[in-house]
Amino acid sequence: MPPKHKTTPPKLACRLLLWFLKEELAEEVLGDLDEKFYHTAAQRSVLQAKVNYWYQVLQYLRPFAMKKHRSNSKLFIMVQHNFKLSYRTFIRYKSSFLINLAGLSSGLACTLLIFLWIADELAMDKFHEKDEQLYQVYLNHEENGSIRTAPPTPGILAEALANEVPEVVTAVEDTDMDWFGNNFALSAGKEKIKARGKFSGKDYLNLFSFKLRSGDPEQVLDDKSSIVITESLALKLFGSLDVIGKSVDWHLLHFKGQAKVSGILYDLSGNSSEQFDFILPFTIFKDDLDSDGMHWGNFNSYTYAELANGADVKQLNKKLANFIKQKDEGSNVTVFMTKFSDIYLHGNYEAGVQTGGRIIYVTLFSIIGIFILLIACINFMNLTTARASRRLKEIGVKKTLGARRGGLFSQFMGEAIIMSVTALIIALVLVYMVIPQFNELTGKSISLQLTWKLVGITSGITLITGILAGSYPAIYLSGFRPINILKGKLNASFGEVWIRKGLVVFQFALSIIMIVSVLVVYQQINFAQTKNLGYDRTNVLKVPIEGKAVENIPVFLNELKQVPGVIEASCTSHSIVSSGSFTTGVSWPGKDPDQIIRFEQARVYHGFLETLGIQLAMGRSFSDHVDSEKSKIIFNETAIEAMGLENPIGTTVIMWGEEKEIIGVVKDFHYSSLHSMVEPMLFHFDTEFLQNVFIKIDSKQIGETISAIESFYNKFNSGYTLEYEFLDQNYQAQYIAEQRISTLSRFFAGVAIIISCLGLFGLAAFTAERRQKEIGVRKVLGASSFRIIALLSNDFTKMVLASIVIALPVSYMLAENWLSNFAYHIQLKWWLFGLAAVSSLIIAWLTVGIQTIKAALTNPVECLKDE
Amino acid sequence: MSKHHLGEFEEIVMLTVAILADEAYGVAIIDEMESRLNRKVSIGALQTVLRRLEKKGYLSSQFGEATNMRGGKRKRYFSLTTYGKNVLTEVKEQRLSLWEAIPNFSLNK
Repeated sequence: MPPKHKTTPPKLACRLLLWFLKEELAEEVLGDLDEKFYHTAAQRSVLQAKVNYWYQVLQYLRPFAMKKHRSNSKLFIMVQHNFKLSYRTFIRYKSSFLINLAGLSSGLACTLLIFLWIADELAMDKFHEKDEQLYQVYLNHEENGSIRTAPPTPGILAEALANEVPEVVTAVEDTDMDWFGNNFALSAGKEKIKARGKFSGKDYLNLFSFKLRSGDPEQVLDDKSSIVITESLALKLFGSLDVIGKSVDWHLLHFKGQAKVSGILYDLSGNSSEQFDFILPFTIFKDDLDSDGMHWGNFNSYTYAELANGADVKQLNKKLANFIKQKDEGSNVTVFMTKFSDIYLHGNYEAGVQTGGRIIYVTLFSIIGIFILLIACINFMNLTTARASRRLKEIGVKKTLGARRGGLFSQFMGEAIIMSVTALIIALVLVYMVIPQFNELTGKSISLQLTWKLVGITSGITLITGILAGSYPAIYLSGFRPINILKGKLNASFGEVWIRKGLVVFQFALSIIMIVSVLVVYQQINFAQTKNLGYDRTNVLKVPIEGKAVENIPVFLNELKQVPGVIEASCTSHSIVSSGSFTTGVSWPGKDPDQIIRFEQARVYHGFLETLGIQLAMGRSFSDHVDSEKSKIIFNETAIEAMGLENPIGTTVIMWGEEKEIIGVVKDFHYSSLHSMVEPMLFHFDTEFLQNVFIKIDSKQIGETISAIESFYNKFNSGYTLEYEFLDQNYQAQYIAEQRISTLSRFFAGVAIIISCLGLFGLAAFTAERRQKEIGVRKVLGASSFRIIALLSNDFTKMVLASIVIALPVSYMLAENWLSNFAYHIQLKWWLFGLAAVSSLIIAWLTVGIQTIKAALTNPVECLKDE
Repeated sequence: MSKHHLGEFEEIVMLTVAILADEAYGVAIIDEMESRLNRKVSIGALQTVLRRLEKKGYLSSQFGEATNMRGGKRKRYFSLTTYGKNVLTEVKEQRLSLWEAIPNFSLNK
């Protein structure tokens, strides 16, 4: 059948085929395809024929049919040759190759992890769509001439701001979740579920981009009887996600109510500093406090505002400063706004001035990351350059055979880059493997996502390391005259040795700084955890008051004390481990009317001081005469001093409009973390608003006692389960940030030291090898093995000593600086630095020792027999 | 095991080449396999096997005449070599001896 020439096989496919197909196959294959094509075109359709043609061409992409790209170009052959040589050198010097690779890849892996951590920290709270306009109101309280900055604001501020300030588009208020902790009990049936929630104003979900799965963000909080819950809470409560309109009972201390689910939130991402399970409308909170609590002198909510596009915050802050003073004459607070997403990293204020916050850790880890990277890169360069000088002969021979400098340049450069890229790949695998553990350690949920930034930075670092390491042999060694090389007249030059030594000194100095830092951080944390706080927090359980116990505290406590193993029990409104509420509403005889003292305020029940073992400086503790004790008060020493009372016992003070007689003074104790100083504190007797029960139990039978308390609790408070915390664990939780930093820094310091040692090890091996002949001759002439070990270690000892001299002052300054963040901290002792110095020296000796001993014990015949 | 290992597809290709005798070239082999075995094979896959068999020495090939149908390109005809025929026979005998060794085997059952 003659072909119709109108239809021809697709040209592009044809060209593709000819491009990759072996030439000897071309004619026959094209023939086959054409035949098939015309056949199909005639029998069926042209389209089908074309599709089939393409299919057949793609099917030809098989190894057998492809052209072998073995070109005879010089470039190709040289590249192949260089690869082969690199491979052979790697194989020949396995240990130095592996040391080099291990050092660089673990260094890169650590740096990558740190980079991921920092990126995650910096992205915190930045996901809100209105991030640029989202501000939080802070207040400066002027007290006794000093300024204290804190975020709580009057609950009526948001509404006033939105109505009266044109720059504020919307403003919204909410309550602090820590005030209620996990103490909300929610139920959609019988079972009560503990959850973490807050009261928020209507526009909360307009301002913050927490995404709703169902429900309208404009309206979900409008109705007073609505509740917005997260997906996981919905699943816990109802077992399904289709729960809009279903009712939920909620209960917190004396607060309780019923609400209808009006919206379901997607679970909050780890990138949010706000973590909650549900939101109730702020109106509930507002109506409950009523006019008693909702005024300009009561700071019980947070206020957030969306500013108009282009609003100047500095100008606005000037304008707003006296906003509250204008509303309330006697007020001592000034208002300012700060960007919401900045607070996570820059949340600390001193005297009204921003003084950092978590950003310290971000900087700290950036420095650690850079240190590790530097150490690893220096290592890599040192070992690569040291190894390169082994290959002088190779260079000589190549040059004699006509190699150009450019060729040698690309060979050595290529080799170094291949190494560094291999290290990068290993590092990525390492990171991928340890990320789960890393997340557990840091309490984050980081994943290894290859963003452009990450790819750019890591490949940049790798290439630079490779190029720097490769440049020495590529530029310096390739420039020698072959005759000198082959005659063996060249030895490592003076300058080269100095650079290498200098780098080792630098590297070790960094390691020593890290050892000191780790010791200091560890000691400070240890100090904080074991310091005598002035009360006994061991074997004390903390239990929230709920259910029937809220109304019947005396009965509850009495029965609780009957449980075997319970030594003492009492209640308070204060959490003790962190600061709680405070008051300035106390006056006493001889008080200067302008003076404002802020008292940490705790409502307590009798037996409280005894339960926690707080010691009295004078006077007595509260007794169990409920009625008479309500008019009594106890202060701490700092408070008495601040008030200037000479004979406090028996003095009558006025608190919240009621007269109270001072019956006792307790010794100062640290109710909060050691970050802050002990402040004036008062205890007054009350039977309401007591949120926590503290139970001192017998240390000999903790397990039995807890289960006895549990069974008592289930009987007393049916429907509730006992949720207890140990006070000492609770206390330690405040140091979680430091603890994480401590473990992390220990981990990274360990890696840094190991990498440095790897470098030293490699270098020691190299020197021992280079001086083989010298050692042989020395031994023949009668040197003892010990003399030789001393000779070889001498150099390294000097280097480590030099780095100690450099590192100690620097680490001293760094440590002082860090410790000044704590109000109570350890004193830096000289032995700490001594320990770091001695340990680094010992580590260095051990590393070098193996190599030197091996070199010293070799039979001189072995190294002198040839040549 | 015999030193001549022949894959299933290889065996089929060799048999088809034998069937087609002097007319065994790419497209013809494919058509033959399609009509007899209802088995669709791409030209690429077939060529892989043909080349491999040729390399092993079971097949030989030479160019034929150019035809209009193929846009002026020549066909490459394949044929069995003596060695190839021996291997094929050996394989067949091995199979048969295996079949015969099955006890009480009846196709009617």
